[in-house]
Order: sequence, then C-alpha cells, then structure tokens
Amino acid sequence: MSYEVKLDAFSGPLDLLLHLIHRLEIDIYDIPMAELTSQYIDHIHAMQTLELNEASEYLVMAATLLAIKSRMLLPIHEGEIDESELEVDGPDPREELVTRLIEYKKYKEAASELQVLETERAQVYTKPPSDLSEFMPEEQLVLFDANVNVYDMLSAFQKLMRRKQLKKPLHTRVARQEISVKEQMRVVVDVLKNRGGRAMFSELFPYDDKATLVVTFLTLLELMKRQVVFVEQQHNFDDLTVLLQKEDIGDELEQFDEQN
Amino acid sequence: MNSNNLMSKIEALLFVVGDEGMSVKQLAQYLEVEPMDIEAGLSELQTQYEESEVRGITLKQLAGSYQITTKPALADAIKKLVENPTNQVLTAASLEVLAIIAYKQPITRAEVEDLRGVKSERPIATLVSRALVQEVGRAEGTGRAILYGTTKEFLNYFGLKSLQELPPLPDAAQAEEEQETDLFLTKFQETFNQN
Repeated sequence: MSYEVKLDAFSGPLDLLLHLIHRLEIDIYDIPMAELTSQYIDHIHAMQTLELNEASEYLVMAATLLAIKSRMLLPIHEGEIDESELEVDGPDPREELVTRLIEYKKYKEAASELQVLETERAQVYTKPPSDLSEFMPEEQLVLFDANVNVYDMLSAFQKLMRRKQLKKPLHTRVARQEISVKEQMRVVVDVLKNRGGRAMFSELFPYDDKATLVVTFLTLLELMKRQVVFVEQQHNFDDLTVLLQKEDIGDELEQFDEQN
Repeated sequence: MNSNNLMSKIEALLFVVGDEGMSVKQLAQYLEVEPMDIEAGLSELQTQYEESEVRGITLKQLAGSYQITTKPALADAIKKLVENPTNQVLTAASLEVLAIIAYKQPITRAEVEDLRGVKSERPIATLVSRALVQEVGRAEGTGRAILYGTTKEFLNYFGLKSLQELPPLPDAAQAEEEQETDLFLTKFQETFNQN
C-alpha cells in the first residue's frame, strides 16, 4: 500500500518509525522486524521529494532495519560458537534500536509539552521598560559591566523584535528602497553623535520594518568589530548601552567597501 | 510603611520596568524593606488582580523576576493591535531540539543529532538566533565541541519561573509499566467481582 507522505510531517527516521509503530499497533518491546522494515521502506519510496541531506539519514535507518532483520533470521550454528558465549537468552539484535526509540520518544513528548507552554505564553503581553535615562544622574549611568558578548546582542535584538510587534504603523508607508549596511553605518554614527555619543540599544532602532531592523543590527555588529562603538550592559537592567568611540568613520567606510 | 502603601510602590516599580521585570531582591533593595514583606505584598497584589474582573493586568513571575502582564483571557482584544498576530512559533524540529537541550544541557550538537537520528544544524541555528539557546562552554577532548544550554529568554518564552519548573520528562518505560499495573488491577478486580 502506498500513499502520499509529506516529508515535513516527520522530523527524522526515528519519528517515522514511531509513527509506524503507533499506526500498526506494534509492541515496541517486541517489534516484528519484517513488517516494520517493509512498511518503512514503502514510506521512504512514497517520499519522493526527500531533500538530499535528509534522504541519506532515512536510508541509513532503512539499512539498519534490514541488518537487524537479517541478524534475527540467522540460525545459530553450534559448532562455530564457543558454548560459553551462548547465553541462555542471547542479545536481541533489536535491543539498541528499541533503546533509541524509547529515548527519542521521551523528548518528542517533552517537545509537545513545550508547545503547550508556548501557546499559553503567547496569550500574555508585557510592555517595554519606561525610558528613565533623562532623569538619571550621570554617575549612575556609568555603572557598567563591560561584558557584552554576541549572545547578549542577540538577546537584546530578540526582545526588540518582540516589542516592535506591538507597534502597528498608523499608516502604510510607501515601500522604500533597501538600505545597505554601509549607509546605515553613517546613520547610526550620526544618531549617536546627536545624542552626545551614547544611546540605549533600542533607541537605535526607530523602524518598524523587519528588513531595516535586521540591517541596523548587522550594522551595529560591524561597528563593534571595527571598534567604532562600544557596547556595555548596566547592572540594573538588561538593556544595552551603545557608546561612540570614534566620530570620523571615513576610513572604516572605505575599508568596508574594499572588503565587500 | 503599611502594606497598601507598599503594594502601590511595588506596582509602580513593576509598571516602570515593564518586561525587564524585577526580582524580590531588587524590589526589597529599592524599597528598603525586607524581602519577606515584598513577597507578602506581591502575593496580595496578585490575588487582588486575579480576583478583580475590573483589572486587565496581573502579575507573573518569569525567569526569576516579576513582571506586570496582561491577563491571558484578554489576548484577543490585544491581538487587534498587533500588526502580525501570527506569532512566529517554533517548528516541530526546533521544539524537539530545544526539548533535548533544555533537559540535557550542557549538550553538544553531535549528542543532539545522535538522539534525534537526524542532522540538527538548522534548528540549532534558529534557536541561537532567537536567543533561546546559547553556547555555555566547550566539551573536553578533541574538537572542543560547543556545549549548548538554554537562556533566560527561554524561560520567558515559555512562561517559566526557572528550569525547575520544566514539566518532568515523560518516562516511557514507567508509562508502560503503569499501564501493565492498571491492566493487572482491572483483571484482578474483574476476577474478584466474579467470585
């Protein structure tokens, strides 16, 4: 029997096996190898649109199933094997596969638990912190922990994207031409200059379209790499502060052109 | 300071810090009272929010800090504000990888792949870019493979106070055994009833 199977319906060969075991009502501790193997092979035949890199994994599993099946068919010739090696209950060739399936099944179930939590959490909204920087005395602003890595940056960007979701533009903007990292380098540096060389991470992203947000983020990473800006994290809040180290970026812009 | 006064201050602070949230320790520090009083104030405040149908907000403890959030029941009203209501949810593959990392951290990509029986580069890249997992160190031995673990954002994304709050990992073997025991008991009950 063959029918259409969508590739993305399964997240891997183990997932497909579990699906078959469930559908054929097989006892996972006593798998009829012949039946499962033939069903599995029928399935991967039906998956004609397998992407190449994933197909190999499904094929490896097919080979494994066939190997187990054939090992189970092997008669044990008494003359060839030392009596002492023959346990009363020899190792079952299926054992390793069953262990893997059971282990995988645990995490597959855990994943669906997470999905429930994800849905519940998406029902709840929060707001970004109020900007109190103008009320803060200078010396309080200098309490920094200069230990910002790329994960902190990503985390700040992720938060920003979530906050942007809540801002609906009041009118549809005319499609703008795409901006480049190079142009955006100038813009970010100008914004920082106008703010006396210091701005909160989120202040550098006054845009609502995803493309511009992403380009601006890349620009910030580029400026960090070239040491035009320095990023710090305050103790009190998770928000990052961007500090301008260099006002004239003519050289950096030229270098950037050469490298790209 | 009487407790109403304290609660109003807690509410004001949590309102200002928004989704950054504040821990009991921080609140105690800023309001100059004992952490115990803060805890009492928070729980009273939460009770009042939850019991009042007039209020659209409530308190939630996420990733170790308290935040003011909207009530889940009001999600539909808020969604109208949001430009793109289809929140980018994680794919099945990403969730699977994330579950493995969450329960088995610190863990290398190779270990994740062994468990899933399938390449997992892409889901891991997605999870890193969404700040749900990050590098937490390097494995010993050759290659010094990256070890992955979950982030604070992970807790926030799933509405968890801490990793201890993760649902217990289902134990397949245990479930099977329970079924068998149940079966035995029902059989026993049947036999017992017949006699």
